[in-house]
Amino acid sequence: MSYSETLEQALSTVKQQAVLMQRCLQQRRLMDALRHTSIMLTELRNPELYPKPYYELYILIFDSLSILSTYLVENHPKHHHLADLYELVQYAGNVVPRLYLMITVGSSYLKCAESPSEEILKDMIEMCRGVQNPIRGLFLRYYLSQRTKQLLPQGAVDFNVNFIVTNFIEMNKLWVRLQHQGPLREREQRTKERRELQILIGSQLVRLSQIVDDNLSLYKEQILPVMLEQVIQCRDAVSQEYLLDAICQVFPDEFHLATLDALLEATTRLNPEVSMNKIVLTLIDRLNGYKDRTEQEGTKNGGASLRDLNLFQNFWNYLSNLNEERPDLPLQHFIPLIESVMTLSLQWYPQNLQNLDALYRFTAQKCQDYGKEVPANAEYLFQNLLTLQNNAALSKLDANFYYKLITQCASYRDLLGLQNVLPQKSILNSILEVLLQHTPLPGGESAAENQSDASSVERGFTVATKVDLDNLLSIFEPLIKASSPDILPDRKAVNKALANDDVADEDENSWILDLTQENLAKLSHIIMRSVSQSGDPIENIQLEVEILLSLRNWLYKGGKNIKYTYPAIITNFWKLIRKCHLLRNRDSQNEKQYSEFVKQFFKYVSRSINDLYNVCGSPLADALYKLNIQSASLADQLSLGEIAYDFLSQAFTLFEESLSDSRTQFQALVYMAQSLQKTRSLHEESYYELLIVRCTLHGSKLLKKQDQCRAVYLCSHLWWATEIALIGEEEGVTSDFYREGKRVLECLQRSLRVADSTMDNVQSSELMIEILNRCLYYFIHGDERETHISVKYINGLIELIRANIKSLKMEETTSSTIQLAEHRLDELHIHNAEGTAKEGNRFVIGLDGSYIDVPTGNGGRASVTSKLNSIHLNEMIQIPVQHFNRTCEYIQNQRDVDDRFKVITLGG
Amino acid sequence: MLILALSDAHIPDRAIDLPAKFKKLLSVPNKISQVVLLGNCTKSYTLLKFINDISPNITIVRGEFDNTHLPTTKKNRAKESIPITTVLKQGNFKIGCCSGYTVVPKNDPLSLLALARQLDVDVMLWGGTQNVEAYTLENKFFVNPGSCTGAFNSDWPIINDEELTVNNPDQNKPEDLKSSDVNGSNVPSFCLLDIQDSVCTLYIYIYIDGEVKVDRVVFKKESQTGQD
Repeated sequence: MSYSETLEQALSTVKQQAVLMQRCLQQRRLMDALRHTSIMLTELRNPELYPKPYYELYILIFDSLSILSTYLVENHPKHHHLADLYELVQYAGNVVPRLYLMITVGSSYLKCAESPSEEILKDMIEMCRGVQNPIRGLFLRYYLSQRTKQLLPQGAVDFNVNFIVTNFIEMNKLWVRLQHQGPLREREQRTKERRELQILIGSQLVRLSQIVDDNLSLYKEQILPVMLEQVIQCRDAVSQEYLLDAICQVFPDEFHLATLDALLEATTRLNPEVSMNKIVLTLIDRLNGYKDRTEQEGTKNGGASLRDLNLFQNFWNYLSNLNEERPDLPLQHFIPLIESVMTLSLQWYPQNLQNLDALYRFTAQKCQDYGKEVPANAEYLFQNLLTLQNNAALSKLDANFYYKLITQCASYRDLLGLQNVLPQKSILNSILEVLLQHTPLPGGESAAENQSDASSVERGFTVATKVDLDNLLSIFEPLIKASSPDILPDRKAVNKALANDDVADEDENSWILDLTQENLAKLSHIIMRSVSQSGDPIENIQLEVEILLSLRNWLYKGGKNIKYTYPAIITNFWKLIRKCHLLRNRDSQNEKQYSEFVKQFFKYVSRSINDLYNVCGSPLADALYKLNIQSASLADQLSLGEIAYDFLSQAFTLFEESLSDSRTQFQALVYMAQSLQKTRSLHEESYYELLIVRCTLHGSKLLKKQDQCRAVYLCSHLWWATEIALIGEEEGVTSDFYREGKRVLECLQRSLRVADSTMDNVQSSELMIEILNRCLYYFIHGDERETHISVKYINGLIELIRANIKSLKMEETTSSTIQLAEHRLDELHIHNAEGTAKEGNRFVIGLDGSYIDVPTGNGGRASVTSKLNSIHLNEMIQIPVQHFNRTCEYIQNQRDVDDRFKVITLGG
Repeated sequence: MLILALSDAHIPDRAIDLPAKFKKLLSVPNKISQVVLLGNCTKSYTLLKFINDISPNITIVRGEFDNTHLPTTKKNRAKESIPITTVLKQGNFKIGCCSGYTVVPKNDPLSLLALARQLDVDVMLWGGTQNVEAYTLENKFFVNPGSCTGAFNSDWPIINDEELTVNNPDQNKPEDLKSSDVNGSNVPSFCLLDIQDSVCTLYIYIYIDGEVKVDRVVFKKESQTGQD
């Protein structure tokens, strides 16, 4: 008898023979039925079949054999005796069909009460040795296992365990042998086939776990040692990996807890190709499951003794042993193991940083023993270890955790220090992100205001000592010092940037959007918000300033990077200043102390600004100028006139020595005027007069005439204080405003002279109109006896502007008929905003004299330029014309509400 | 058409980020057609990226701590200077934008009115005060979105609560000092302008006690009268 060539044929033969077998059984022709069964079973002899088709055949045959088995049992001993049949089938010709028949008959016999079950079982398992072909043997033994599942003798635990273990061992041997069949080049194919068959071996472990039930000593003493021995002895990577994983999965987790050392020890004796880490992770997963379960039960039962277990010690010992016994184990294998043990520690002992510290120390040692720099293909493993990114979600690692890890685990910092430059920065950047992320407060509110984002509220950390802070910042030193392009991912750019470092672009535009430095600045705010608070406000301030100074010292190491980070430091000094000021009002006993603090902190601010200037130089002058002015404003608000004066003097020095660009100068000066106008405490020692005269003088010396003109008319406000409602001032009520109308007028007159002498007619007219508008400002503001801005002056100015506009219009190129028409309309004093908007009203002039090309389409952005080509002359002429028209319209409208406007002659 | 007006973020110099609830509200792509940054919003990579995701149509005016030029990016190497005043067009409105740090006297309605007249605009957006404001003057609409982060304000501090000292000294313990008092700024805020033809609906968003509150103000442009 022979088997079919193809699977299709085989399946059809099996089906055919099954039908015939059943027909024979119905007719009680057992011998014929057995013959058909034997033919059917012959198909299982086919050595060409791959595991999958073989399995398909097996299933089909299994069902038919079940029918046969049922018949055999039902007709015993009336029509036959199963003991006889058991003898009989031994005469079947081929070994595979013979053994299947034997097992079918034997297992049927087991169902009968009087059968000698142990003998039959022993015989069957013994006979199975007859098939040594891996696939056929595996299925045959699987068949044995399936058939005897419910039929093992009751109470004979040892026998049963032995039976299944023996079968398991034999199956594993067959399975391993499969690997070595066929040519070497088909090795991969073999491995694939084996993976398809692994479930057959695994089923034996499932059987064992069913028998063992909850009998730990049986498992620990009889089963596990044998199994582990088998696993180790087979030396086969596929088998070892699968079986250890299966053992971990199949048996109850409390067993693993009790046999942890044995399991771990086994992993050290495996084939080097085995991924130990995977097994250890599976084991840890199981242990975590145990923990979760007992904790849930524990809450019901009133506490579990989980905490007493020192699992970490088991794993720690394991790592140490492994390190001694397998010095050859490469970092790539060792690091994931360490990470797995960290996972365990984080799960079981989330508060225990000593465990992590020990692991990091161990890793750092391993790293140093390695002697060379970390190999590129292991970098990411260290990255996992140091960022703990695989555990972050599971163990809910928050900013507070990382803060403690960094500040309390010296070995963490050591290991970080051993990393290569680029991965180290990448690690630091991700830690920085974490520290920033979990802190709940967006700029400027108290913690209470953000309680709604409840999940993140408790995540913040507390900075208790300067030592903690030093520990934290020491790890960030590489980022603090990083030259900007370092954050770019490609190494080429880095090298290029490093090479150019000395000749770095020295202008303000060397300022780039540097995410790392930005995050460091943000970290400064978070640190300052996280300084621990005691009951004593004075102590709190002392600690805060100590932390802030330390922070500043660390950031100072960043060289030119301080341009990104120091403003945050200055802000925090400012905050401390205002805080002390507010506390002084609330805590009168310590008034003097707070005043001392405030003065001292202003010195720190001043030092910080000077540091910035000394390190970064004139590219930063404009920003420093403004930092000085704002520091002055702050001092002024606290009635510290002298300090305010010092900061303002500093600002002037910067203006004189370091601001060169005319645009910057103009804006800076106007900003000075704006800030001075809001000061209130500089009147002692005539500081205010000194400063505003200096400011106006600078304004009159600006490079461009139009800048001079605008600066001076804006400086007129320095002699005309206006109310600051926030401090209770009120126009008409407050009587001691600093106001000198005569000076106001002088300023306006002076700026008008400059406007008049401006060569560009368009600018000249525009400037006069702007001055007219300034005059109207004062005109509204007060009686002309105070402001000195008289109707006569205004009327004179309007006349001057009209004359100017007239001569300006002569410049118009009148070739175009549209323009001609417009010109006529204008002559007729028809001011139609809509009409002229079509062509003429294209440009307006901004605060600084720049030309703004007003967009015509929706959503458009204006283009803004400082110069316009004469091609646009006609449009340019329209700028003052239209501005004047609008001003006149305003005057006209004001007549409805203010009679005084009626005496202003619009003329024309 | 929705225009988003943001101002005075001062990230990272003075603040870390916008309130998370603001960010959530604004993280709706393709809703907002234009963003205006009214000063002190250009020094944070994360903020600019966030804003660019809202709408790439961004208009910036220079605040006192903005550089004179926009930081260059990989895409845009050209050094684009930041104007101190500019004008937008939307519907029947011309909208003037200015950070306000070169307006003298600072925050003065008449000065702002003169500026609006000079720029020939119907709506004037300004910033630089860390305090949200909206009012109508001479038929023009003035809007200051305040600071979107509630960042530290070096100007005269804005008082958020009534001064308690007078009424009840006991409530004025040192430990009750709020960080908002120290910052001296109003709560974080921003504005959205919904413009349809001649109607501008202003939505003012403020972040107070962990919640976002919205106010609505409608400004209609009066049609040009007579003369034609």
